[in-house]
Amino acid sequence: MTLSRALWYYLWLAPHALQIALLVVMLGRGMRRQFPMFLLYTAFEVVQFSLLFTLYQLHIQFDGAYARMYFVGLAISTALRFAVIREIFNQLFKSYAVLQKPASALFRGTSLVLLVVALWLAATAPGDTADLLMYATNAMDRTVTILQCGLLLLLFLLSNYLTLPWRSRVFGIALGLGIYASISLAVSAVRFYSGASNTFVFDLIVMGAYHGCVVVWLYYLALPEREPKLDANVWAHHDLETWNQELERLLQHQ
Amino acid sequence: MIIATILVFAGLLSLLLFLRVAKGHGSAARDLGQLTESIRPVDIEAFRNLIDPREEQFLRGNLSPAEFRAIHRQRLRAAIEYLQCAAHNASVLLYLGEAARQSAEPAIAEAGNKLVDNALRLRLYAFRAIGMFYLAMVFSNTPISPMGVAERYERMTRLVILLGCLQYPSRDVAAAL
Repeated sequence: MTLSRALWYYLWLAPHALQIALLVVMLGRGMRRQFPMFLLYTAFEVVQFSLLFTLYQLHIQFDGAYARMYFVGLAISTALRFAVIREIFNQLFKSYAVLQKPASALFRGTSLVLLVVALWLAATAPGDTADLLMYATNAMDRTVTILQCGLLLLLFLLSNYLTLPWRSRVFGIALGLGIYASISLAVSAVRFYSGASNTFVFDLIVMGAYHGCVVVWLYYLALPEREPKLDANVWAHHDLETWNQELERLLQHQ
Repeated sequence: MIIATILVFAGLLSLLLFLRVAKGHGSAARDLGQLTESIRPVDIEAFRNLIDPREEQFLRGNLSPAEFRAIHRQRLRAAIEYLQCAAHNASVLLYLGEAARQSAEPAIAEAGNKLVDNALRLRLYAFRAIGMFYLAMVFSNTPISPMGVAERYERMTRLVILLGCLQYPSRDVAAAL
C-alpha cells in the first residue's frame, strides 16, 4: 500500500471513528434534546460510512450499487446538514424574541437567493453528462456547498454585527461546518471548472477538511459547556454620569 | 474560469472569516469595565435636527439645488456618524443587558431583558437607517425618516438608568430621577 493510499484510507476511516466517539459523548452528556438534528446527522454519517465501506471492501458490484448508494447517502446527509444549520440558527436566536422573526425571514430569503445562484451555476457548469449519475452528484454537491457556506457566513456575520454571545457547543458545531463548507466550496470550484483530471489530491483535501471539522466538533462538545461569562457587578465600576446627563437632558425637555 | 475564481475566492475568504471569529471567541472573556468606558455620548437633539424633514424642506426651499445637495450630503454624513455611535453604544449595552439577565433578582433580569431587546432593535434600525442615508446621498430625493432610532435610543437610556437604580438603589444615580 502506498503512502497516499494509506493516507486516503486514514482520512476516510478516522473522521467516522471520531464520530462514534462524538455520539458517545453526546448521548453521555444528554445533548439529545439540545441538538437532535446534529445527533441524527452524526449517527447517519456513521451508518452510511459502514455501508459504503463494506460495499467497497467486498468489491460488490451491483450495476453501480456503490455509486447509487453514495448518491442517496449524499442527498440525505445534505438534508440533515441543512437541518443542523437551522438548528444552530434556532439555538443562537432562541433567547432573543425580537430577532426570531427577522432571523427566520433572513434565513429563508438567503436560502432562496443562494439556491437560485447555485442552480444557475450547476446548470451552466462544464461536466461529462454521459455519466448522468456522476454529473448529478457533482452538481448537487456544488449546489449544496454554496448554500451551506453562504448560510453559515450569514450566521457568523449577523451574530458578529449584533454582538450576540455564542454558547461554546453551538459555536463549535457552526465553526466545524463552516470550515468544511468553505474548503469544500473552493476545492469543488477548482475541480470542476478547471476540468482537472487528477481528483485524488482534491479528494484528500476535502476528506482532510472533514477530518478537521469532526475534530473541532469533538473538541467543543467534549468540553464542559462554556456559557458567556458576564460580570453583573460591572455596575460598581461603571460610570453612569454620561447616562445621567442624557436623562437630565430628557427631563429638561419634558 | 471567472466563476471558478470567484467561488475559490469566496471559499477562502469564508474560511478566513470563520477562523478569525474562532480566534476572537477563544480569546479572554470580554472586560465589561473596558467596554463601558468606550460608550460615547450621543446628542439626541442634534441628531433629531439632522434628520428632521422640516429642516430638509427649509433648506431645499432656500438653497440652490447644487448647494442643497452639498449641504444635504454633509448632514447625512453627520447623521451616519451619530447612528454608528448609537449602534456602538447599543452593542455595549447589549453586554450589560446580558449580564443583568443572568441576575437572580427578577426585576433586574427583566430590566436586562428589555435592555437587550432594545439594544438589538436599535442595532437593526441603525443598520437599515445607515443604508437609507447612503441611498439618500446618491439619490437626494429619497425620503429619510429614521425617527424610530432616536426614540429607541432614549428608551434604552432610561432602561440603563433603571437597571442602575435596581442594582444600586442608594447610589447618586437615583438623584437624577
